[in-house]
Amino acid sequence: MFHRSHRLVAALFVLALPLLVGACSKSKDATMQSQENQAMQSSEVKVTSVDLGKSVGADNRVVDKTETFQPNDVIYATILTDGSATNTVLKTVWMFQDGQVVSQSERVIAPNGAAATEFHIEKADGFPAGKYKVVVSLNGSPVQTKEFEVKAT
Amino acid sequence: MGIFDRPDDKKDKKPDFSNVKSDSSSTAPSPGMPAPAAASRTYVVKKGDNLSKIAKEIYGDANGWRRIFEANRDQIKDPDLIQPGQNLKIPSA
Repeated sequence: MFHRSHRLVAALFVLALPLLVGACSKSKDATMQSQENQAMQSSEVKVTSVDLGKSVGADNRVVDKTETFQPNDVIYATILTDGSATNTVLKTVWMFQDGQVVSQSERVIAPNGAAATEFHIEKADGFPAGKYKVVVSLNGSPVQTKEFEVKAT
Repeated sequence: MGIFDRPDDKKDKKPDFSNVKSDSSSTAPSPGMPAPAAASRTYVVKKGDNLSKIAKEIYGDANGWRRIFEANRDQIKDPDLIQPGQNLKIPSA
């Protein structure tokens, strides 16, 4: 009698097994979708590089990177970012060796993937010779500093 | 210092940067920029779709899911929950 009831339980389990598997797989797609979109939501913007040069191409990237300029050059800084956000603030503060702020400006962007943002400065009567630096900030936090020099011809 | 001595007025003179001009541009759009006048399209959600998959299919970039979500805030409360048969507005690239 014991063996008969044992067999009955085993048979019921085998019959119920397909029902249990079906219930688990239904929620799988929803879980995977949730995890995937969760990964996409955490794609915060990061500065990947800052380059200096005398001109930029149509893609906003400097054509020939350099850290030495002449007084009458237009000085470009290209900031490459990666990531997505609806509101990202990029700021540049350009400074001279004596601590003076040469110029500062910011731009708010809404990148969706890789982006190139350029800032440039120019001075009609030429930049004084000397050492300079540009401090790049992302959402209020300094992320990179590039030094350069202006040399009189 | 004698009466004919003149102070060196250039000694402490700092460069003048008041006439420096600056500008910027970006390949990324500015927030809140109005959508271009190009014709927008709609997409009917199929079973098994999610926003990332739709963005990948249409834009070639799954990261574009956020733009689709923002354009359909009136009918999508949770980006993880879209229903088959929903008519989604697809912003132009």
